[in-house]
Amino acid sequence: MRQQYAIRSMIIVAGLAVVLLAVIVQIIRIQNSEQAIIFLSQGSRYAGEFQMVYPERGNIYDRNGHLLAGNRMVYEVGVSLNEVESPDSMAYILGQYLGLTYEEVFKKLTESPESWEYIVIQDYVGAETVKALEQLINQLEDADDPRLNGLAFKPHLQRSYPETDLASNVLGFVTRDGRGYFGIEEKYNDLLAGNPIQIWVPHDPYKADQIPKVQNGTSLVLTLNRDLQAKVESILDQALFDYGAQNGTIIVMDPRNGEILAMAATPRMDLNNFTNYFSLYDNGSQFNRAIGMAYEPGSVIKVLTMAAALDNGTVTPETTMIDTGFIEVGGIIIQNWNREAWGQQNMTGCLQHSLNVCLAWVSSQMGTQAFYRYMERFGLGHATGVDLSGEAIGRLKVPGDSDWYPVDLGTNAFGQGISVTSLQMLMAVSAVANEGRMVTPHVLHSMVRDGHQYNVPSQVAGSPISSQTAHTLNEMLAISLEQESSKALLPGYRLAGKTGTAQIPTDYGYDVSRTNVSFIGWGPVDDPQFMVYIWLQSPTTSIWSSETAAPVFSQVAEQSVILLNIPPDVVRNQLASQ
Amino acid sequence: MQGQATQIIHAYKQAPWRIQRQWIGAFLLIVIGAAMIAALYLDVTARTALAGREIQQLRIEVAGVQRENADLQTRLADLTSTEVMQQRAVELGYRSVQPGELDYVAVPGFVEPEPAILLAAEDTIPHVHARPAEYTQSLLEWLTERIKSGAPLYP
Repeated sequence: MRQQYAIRSMIIVAGLAVVLLAVIVQIIRIQNSEQAIIFLSQGSRYAGEFQMVYPERGNIYDRNGHLLAGNRMVYEVGVSLNEVESPDSMAYILGQYLGLTYEEVFKKLTESPESWEYIVIQDYVGAETVKALEQLINQLEDADDPRLNGLAFKPHLQRSYPETDLASNVLGFVTRDGRGYFGIEEKYNDLLAGNPIQIWVPHDPYKADQIPKVQNGTSLVLTLNRDLQAKVESILDQALFDYGAQNGTIIVMDPRNGEILAMAATPRMDLNNFTNYFSLYDNGSQFNRAIGMAYEPGSVIKVLTMAAALDNGTVTPETTMIDTGFIEVGGIIIQNWNREAWGQQNMTGCLQHSLNVCLAWVSSQMGTQAFYRYMERFGLGHATGVDLSGEAIGRLKVPGDSDWYPVDLGTNAFGQGISVTSLQMLMAVSAVANEGRMVTPHVLHSMVRDGHQYNVPSQVAGSPISSQTAHTLNEMLAISLEQESSKALLPGYRLAGKTGTAQIPTDYGYDVSRTNVSFIGWGPVDDPQFMVYIWLQSPTTSIWSSETAAPVFSQVAEQSVILLNIPPDVVRNQLASQ
Repeated sequence: MQGQATQIIHAYKQAPWRIQRQWIGAFLLIVIGAAMIAALYLDVTARTALAGREIQQLRIEVAGVQRENADLQTRLADLTSTEVMQQRAVELGYRSVQPGELDYVAVPGFVEPEPAILLAAEDTIPHVHARPAEYTQSLLEWLTERIKSGAPLYP
């Protein structure tokens, strides 16, 4: 009996073993068949996809953490063509909501190639429009209405500027292809944008950890003070209106470290509508006139001429000269701004009355070699190295150049025949306000990446004059402002500064009816904490800097001391003595 | 004594079904063992697949939240922009301060803070070593490592 069971058991086991073997053989056969290879290749097509990932562009903040450039969510509105049931209705609805024509949308929906499964109707659609469309879709779905079947929204980020046109000349803008133009956006485009990379995104859940994380762009903290920037822009706009000037720039810088606290220029543009660029600017140099446009600065350059002469030992503040109203340099007669003789003058008087004859005499006394050596030390004719895109370098003709003439030694001394940018002048004169050390102007304060803030160190661009010379000239310029009862003065604060009125050169000589008016000043004199440069183009109410740029300086200085918490001199000295 | 032993051996030899049962038992044991391992493997792989899918979903959600965060940050900046704040200040009856209206007070030890952006919520990439080996090692890798390091196989 047991024998029979044993045989039956053996038969069953053998049968099962054969079935199992057959299954295994079949599995191996199927897996190695030609069809299997085809299926595998078909499957691999759906194993994942390559995606181009654009990191989130870094933010830009002012020095107090106010957002100047961020990112806003916008949507790509597209349609899955296979799901569309009513192209006619969809074209009508989308045309209404997206501001497109019915024909345009209908053509896209009906005339796309057969192989296409998805088409983009419109990109960069605002959140409000998408929200309205989503509400409509929900209503239609509730009513079992298929008219918007297949409509899809893909969110992504777009550059946005909450302050619209504030500091637009400094920030620059980003176009829809993600590239920065002008200013910070162009200069630091690579840092801000991060590195777009193509990654393989597997659909296989076992490979989820293989998807690389894309690093976002670096955020930047600028040296700008948003509130001061707003005030300075407001003052500039008012000045253009009050004095009938065409355009202008105002820069406020900390002379101790080169940090630019405000940089205003006209015209400004709403950075969220960058397409306006071509209607506002004829060329790129106009985008930020403070760095992009060089001009003959006029008498503000006398600060550099006097600094060079004092440092060279050619003159002292007490040196006198007899101003006869004219001087001949290189065979050309040079006259004062009012064509009058001012008699005996010391060097402070020369600066106070802004005498061309005196300064031409000073440069002649220095000699060609020494004068131009100092001008080069002050960085004229060279880029300042500011971290903004589009900087012009101006022109300093030197002996040996084909267009340099001996008279240039005289005219350059009072700012004719030489071209500089506003920022170049500010940088050069920073040596006077900063104990002989000339600072490199910069806008970037720090970079923020991976939760860490990396501060950018300030740089000294050189020491063209001694500390003693700087102190002496500081005092001379402060006295000259005070004795002239200048409109640049600010009660409670001792300031130093110099006006500059320059006729505008044309192809046919100087246009006597139009001027560029400038002013450079700083304060408080015993501890300079801000420097201001003002340039107004072609004012019509007055051609003189003392009546236009000087009062503007006073207004900017007033706002600077308030917003930078600089007490009046008396209070400051009291506080310091406590 | 010897006879008894012979009888037992004889009796054993005369029961081939016992040998077959032993074979069947061993076979079933292997099958059950294999089935248990297969079930365990299936369970682990299923859990891994679910976790992987969850990771994929979370990544999408993280990207969405980051986008939304950036958008909200910009909207907040819109609401606190210079122009808006100035307008609100005027509506509330404030005006710009004049230089003579300011009082300055010396605060001992006060140092004006350097520009700094608070980044408490800034996303940081988790360090590779932050994930314990237990979450990534297979049993075989763990065994190999323990044997190579000479560490005991039990706690």
